[in-house]
Amino acid sequence: MVFSRCGRGEEPEPGMLEGETAIEVRHLTKRFRIPLQRNFTMYDRLSSFVHRKKAFYEEFDALKDVNIRLMHGDAVGIIGPNGSGKSTLLKLIAGVLYPDKGCVMVRGQVAPFLELGVGFEPELSARENIYLYGAIMGIPRKEIDRKYWDILNFAELRRFEFLKLRNFSSGMYARLAFSIAIQSNPDIMLLDEVLAVGDEQFQKKCMSKIEEFRHAGKTIVLVSHDLSSIEKICNQGILLQNGQVEATGSPEHVIEAYHRIMERG
Amino acid sequence: MWIFEYYDLIRILTISDLKVKYQSSILGFLWSLLNPFLMLMVLYVVFSGMYDVSEESFIVYLFIGITSWRFFSNGTTTSVRSIVSKSNLVTKIFIPRKILVFSGVVSSFISSLLEFFILFLLLIVFRVSFTLNMLYFPFVTLIYFGIVFGAGLALGALYVFYRDLDQIWEVVISIGFFLSPIIYPVTLIPDRLLPIYMLNPVTVVMQMYREILLYGTAPSLPLFGYGTIAAVILLIAGSSIFGSLEWRFAEEI
Repeated sequence: MVFSRCGRGEEPEPGMLEGETAIEVRHLTKRFRIPLQRNFTMYDRLSSFVHRKKAFYEEFDALKDVNIRLMHGDAVGIIGPNGSGKSTLLKLIAGVLYPDKGCVMVRGQVAPFLELGVGFEPELSARENIYLYGAIMGIPRKEIDRKYWDILNFAELRRFEFLKLRNFSSGMYARLAFSIAIQSNPDIMLLDEVLAVGDEQFQKKCMSKIEEFRHAGKTIVLVSHDLSSIEKICNQGILLQNGQVEATGSPEHVIEAYHRIMERG
Repeated sequence: MWIFEYYDLIRILTISDLKVKYQSSILGFLWSLLNPFLMLMVLYVVFSGMYDVSEESFIVYLFIGITSWRFFSNGTTTSVRSIVSKSNLVTKIFIPRKILVFSGVVSSFISSLLEFFILFLLLIVFRVSFTLNMLYFPFVTLIYFGIVFGAGLALGALYVFYRDLDQIWEVVISIGFFLSPIIYPVTLIPDRLLPIYMLNPVTVVMQMYREILLYGTAPSLPLFGYGTIAAVILLIAGSSIFGSLEWRFAEEI
């Protein structure tokens, strides 16, 4: 299963995704438009047209000519200051955003954990939401039937099977979401700051689950400000700054580079 | 095709949607059936004496109009907000976004099927004779579904960029109610305006429903042909509008 997406009119370059490559990104550029004057309704469009105003917006390159190659079984930590393009990169790999220039290619089943509990319906019970979120994460229904109790047990929510989600605490909510999401059994996991889930005990469980995935040879891409968890999980690091790759290599090396940037201010 | 590939997801999104819609009260489901029924009563009382109704059973005529209109108005109104109201499923995960519009239309469609069921009961009560021509029902309905889904794709995509579209569409729907032959017979329209009047695809579908359910005839060929063409055009136009805007959904939402 290969997913590829390029800027308009572009084709993936030959040689991309060669050998044991899981994710490859070449010349990736993502540009956002930040409107200075919002033209968000038909009324606005019409009035700015009548008054001969142009739609002013500023362009902002969230990623500039980024090249990355990740191998199967790698666990990669992406770090960088706020606004450096970490989440944008993850969203491009997940297929949520479309590149302006360059290409993204991914081999294998991807589970994006950009946010936990995407599509949860507060008015429905935990049981109904397990099936709903499971389907959203692409887990076949039979698989959910089979794993149903595993999910509730792992989340420690057996007793609340029929409780509506709107009565859940935020910790319970996140635990349920994480427990369902890990059942999707992906080849590649994209994690964006979602490890801060529940209490310390549950966080330990999550960590050991991720370790388990790692030993099973899955590819993990982790965006986090929590440098210690990156050091613990990852064997590779990428430092982004202002939309460009600033440093790559071992997590220790990249974290050191990150500290240097932060000290410089 | 995406409908088959994502069948599980479409199914569960639709069911969840219906559950949320109907479970807020035990009467939720009954209320939703009561709504068109009350509308029928009011409109019947007001309009049955208004003009010399040549229609034999005006009440059935009226109810076919109301029921079929409600699928269009509910289906398209749901579609307008279908992408924006599920913004999380657009910005945090990748699924074909058409699914969001599609499951919205399907859930309106299921509600409408229940109303059509009431309509069939009404046909029995008013002794409308049942004919084999009623078997055209699924075909006419398929055309109608295509029309609503095609329009819904365009509306849902455009609403991401124009956030007053829902209010504009509400006005279109209120005007459309009077521009379609719901509360009056088509014979009321002057002959020279008729060619323009019949361009409205909802009118065409409504008239076909009356032909097969009330008059016991097969749908007339011009109506059937035009309805099919309108559905195909709307589906193609809706998909291409949706397709050309989809890549910016996650940034604009």
